[in-house]
Amino acid sequence: MAVDKRATRLGVLAVVGAILFGTVGVRLWFLQTVEAEALQVEVEETKRRTVPLLPERGRIFDAEGRILADNERVLTVAVDWEVLRRDSTRSEIFTRLSGWVGVPVEEMEARYADPATFSPFLPMPVAEDVDERTASAIRERVEDLPGVEIIEQWRRVYPYAPLASHVVGYMGAITAETKDEYLDRGYYLNERVGQFGIELSMEEHLHGKWGYVTYEVDKFSRIVREIERVPAVNGRDVQLTIDLDQQQYAEQALETQLKLRREAVARNGLDPETNFTERFFPEYPEEVPFKAPAGAVVVKNWENGHVVALASYPTYDNRWFESGLSGAEFEEVFDATDLSRIERDEDGEIIPESLVVDPDRSTLVNRAIQGRYNLGSTFKPFPAYAALQVGFLGVDDVYEDTGTYRMDSVDEFKCETGLVRCVFRNATCSGTGRPCVYGSVDVNTALAVSSDAFFYRIGERLMTEYDYQPILQQEVEKFGFGADTGIELPFEFDGTVPDAELKARYAELGVISEAEGEDYFTGDNVQLAIGQGLLSASPLQLAVGYSSIASGGFVMKPEIIKAIYEPGVPDADRVGFADISRARFAEEPNVRGELVRQIPMSAAIREEITSGLRRVITGPGTTSDYYHRTTGENLFYYYPESAIPIAGKTGTAQGANNYPWNDSSAFAAFSVDPERPYTASAYLEKAGYGSQGAAPVVKCIFLQLSGIQDADPVSLSDPLDTDNLIPAEPKELADTSCYNGRFSAVRGTE
Amino acid sequence: MTGLLSRRPDSGLGNIKASPADPSRNIDWVLLTAQMLLTVIGCFIVFSTSRTRIDVDPYAFVTRQTIFAIIAFFVMGAVMATDYEFWKDRARSLYTLTILSLVFLFLLGVASGEDRISYDLGPINVQPAELAKFTTLLMLATYLAEERSDEVSYARFLGGLIIVGVPATLVIIQPDLGSASVIVSIAMGVLLVAGAKIRYIFAISALSIATVAAAFVGRLVNSYQIARLNALLNPDSVGLDETYQADNAMRALGTGGVWGKGWLEGPLTNDGDIPVMWADFPFAAVGEQFGLVGCAVVLLLIAVVLIRIWRIAHLSRDLLGTYLCAGVFVMLLWQTFQNVGMTLQIMPVTGLPLPFISYGGSGLIVYFAMFGLVQSVHMRRMR
Repeated sequence: MAVDKRATRLGVLAVVGAILFGTVGVRLWFLQTVEAEALQVEVEETKRRTVPLLPERGRIFDAEGRILADNERVLTVAVDWEVLRRDSTRSEIFTRLSGWVGVPVEEMEARYADPATFSPFLPMPVAEDVDERTASAIRERVEDLPGVEIIEQWRRVYPYAPLASHVVGYMGAITAETKDEYLDRGYYLNERVGQFGIELSMEEHLHGKWGYVTYEVDKFSRIVREIERVPAVNGRDVQLTIDLDQQQYAEQALETQLKLRREAVARNGLDPETNFTERFFPEYPEEVPFKAPAGAVVVKNWENGHVVALASYPTYDNRWFESGLSGAEFEEVFDATDLSRIERDEDGEIIPESLVVDPDRSTLVNRAIQGRYNLGSTFKPFPAYAALQVGFLGVDDVYEDTGTYRMDSVDEFKCETGLVRCVFRNATCSGTGRPCVYGSVDVNTALAVSSDAFFYRIGERLMTEYDYQPILQQEVEKFGFGADTGIELPFEFDGTVPDAELKARYAELGVISEAEGEDYFTGDNVQLAIGQGLLSASPLQLAVGYSSIASGGFVMKPEIIKAIYEPGVPDADRVGFADISRARFAEEPNVRGELVRQIPMSAAIREEITSGLRRVITGPGTTSDYYHRTTGENLFYYYPESAIPIAGKTGTAQGANNYPWNDSSAFAAFSVDPERPYTASAYLEKAGYGSQGAAPVVKCIFLQLSGIQDADPVSLSDPLDTDNLIPAEPKELADTSCYNGRFSAVRGTE
Repeated sequence: MTGLLSRRPDSGLGNIKASPADPSRNIDWVLLTAQMLLTVIGCFIVFSTSRTRIDVDPYAFVTRQTIFAIIAFFVMGAVMATDYEFWKDRARSLYTLTILSLVFLFLLGVASGEDRISYDLGPINVQPAELAKFTTLLMLATYLAEERSDEVSYARFLGGLIIVGVPATLVIIQPDLGSASVIVSIAMGVLLVAGAKIRYIFAISALSIATVAAAFVGRLVNSYQIARLNALLNPDSVGLDETYQADNAMRALGTGGVWGKGWLEGPLTNDGDIPVMWADFPFAAVGEQFGLVGCAVVLLLIAVVLIRIWRIAHLSRDLLGTYLCAGVFVMLLWQTFQNVGMTLQIMPVTGLPLPFISYGGSGLIVYFAMFGLVQSVHMRRMR
């Protein structure tokens, strides 16, 4: 019968079920009674320990593949926090370790007492950078030293330091202010992070990601087996647009020229107003030496915005930050006190009040992007563009320069009573001791001889004839003034283009008087037109502005990153180089650069400005009372035909109290050869006229770029001399002949 | 005991309007109660295993499990209210639909270049493999019941194998070996009861055992491959030492002893030493917190459920009902044995959840639907 068979078969199922349940039941009973105790012991002995796996930081290369920042493996002795928490074992371990690693017990205790600087998730480091022998000796004695381990870490090395130190930057401990942010991003407190330069701006790419491995350990902390492993992801390698050949040359040219300028003097001439009986500054002697403390140079490609060299002086050696200096030694290296103000008492002791910080001597500032500089006449091409672009001026319009400019939009009465400054003078001509008189000048000539009066008029009229709208500001801001350039370097200065808002803010801050801050006056615009007053910009902004003229209105973002590669670009056979040909891009590189904006600039306007700037270099000047040379004519007299043809402009920014020895020297120039599209700008603080200080540096750089001037080969640097507590070894330009012009004494006007 | 196993069908009291054969008067309350008790215990276990593992809300998993249980309850109600004969006519189309969705999922996986086991429909994702368990059982039972003989012919046996083989293969290549083994176990149960020759059954058993044995041998020979297999079966635990999870699960269970460490007092459960415990090793949590006694209660409840299903298979008025019950019986038996067995380390680690106890919505809904079928067979046995 069917049902019976069905029952039989269901019976089979029941039997199978019973057997399975029986098996489970027996095993369960066995585990939970017989085995329970043994398993309990096993559980108590089983512990897990997670060991973080350190990522290797990405390296930094120059445009040729030179390794500017590398990593060196160091061994650190560290102790597990668990072990240290027990006072008895701590002192015992410290005592035992002390002999091995050569660190006094007190120092270890001090570290333990200040745990805020160490990550609670990593073992506490006791001694960094122990040698291989010590490490293996400690490893062999693991049984006697519970919780002690040898950790592999990385130390940053800079094989070409101090070259490009301001660009590459340096690393340091995580500070209290940045602690929360870094911890949120998965960092450990012990880590060193980028503090300046590319090390800081590219931190995200360079750092990589921590991995970890979890072990099961027994009660002796011995590893039983691996439970989980998440490998670390190394940081990406970053290649810069900087070419170390050019960078070294620029740094040498800048430093050497600054030192030469310190030997030069500014003349404190006789004032014609006093019938040549008294000096302009009677309390000072006839000649005052220049301080020439600092400066910066930018060399870039005007076509794609790539920055080839970015020099800043005084410079420093970024290896100091990895050298483990004590606090006091560090202070000595990076001391920035004003040496000229130091006073001593009778016993020869320094009076503490006389130790004043001198901003001129600060080293940890990249003046090429952070410098807040008055541009002086190097700014003139931009007001010239503004006047031509808005139609105020035609290319052939002529103005009669009489040496002074008198504003005509201001009430005669206010001028007479001195309520408003209405008269603006040209710079003093050394031939007459009076303001230079250039006679009939058009835009072209005004740029060539740097006629202030011509631009004073532009400053006034662009306001009065255009309804007092900020026309000049709008036009020059197109070139990037008053806003950061967006270069991938930290702490960039935005620059300022003065207007009512800025003046009000400055008045509030007490930089200018309250009366002065009330409004933006016509006089301010007159000053702005020659690059004086509250206008300020960095040498990089100046270079970007000139590049935009060179390219006919394309404002390119200055680019310092050439490429970002996947981790692990291998070394090349040549020492100090990476093999870029075997690298893989992490991000598609932007070789053509990034266009920020395109400025409307007709060929006629571009040609007019460029030819004016070209005349600065080649001459001729203009003849009025006598022949006035252009500002660069003498310096570039022997500039060879085969060298890159350039167009440029000098500038002299007046410094504190208008003392001539406080004049800062500026020069910017661009190549008119599209095959070699370079722009260079230089700024030398308190170093005299533009043609004396900055222009020779730029001239040398263009000669070197042309291949005419030889540059020293770049070589790996010698180890850092830690006995000599100076920020950086001095550099010297081997051949300084390129500084010279036609006459030994360079012509005396800006 | 006899009371538990059999209840006289006409023992309903009081309601003279309904005939003793009225389906609503023939719900198996013992089965229903045991099943509900297991579900409630499951929610408690899910809470105890997941509360320290989730950052935001310790109740997140148990809340979802409760919602799943309520949904599953209504699904079961719907299946109970339907005569199981209803499915007979629709078995073919449902089965075809399942195969199509499995094939389409496979093609989708090929197109996207990654393994796919579910359709992601926004907030919910549908696993066709779960649906396959239900529809394959219906199809197979219907197909074999058509024979109307107590012993299947060789031809029909082969037909049955194809019916099971197609979805099982599609599920294996997903890859979801766990679900495939469930589908195969269902088929074995149904074929056995349908009267397949013992040697046929042995043939399939031998094949299945060979596979399992290969896995065991592989474990001894090459732990890397086992780790891969394990990762295949249980993607949540990828990257873990494959024996770590199982070792700690056994330790948790064993250290519970006879009486357990108490509710929420299990150190291994609380510290999360057993990854994905709420899905893979809930039985270890039972063992650690409630000891041998707690484990016995859970196993006893499952045994009661099995016995009731076995009884209904007996009482069924037709072959279809018997086959359906047999399928559910073997499925539950296999899955329980496999999951508890891996906690006790007598079976290899797979991702098969413990029915009613493990966290997981689709598994719960499928089980409730199947129990609805079983109830439906019981409710309509006297017509």
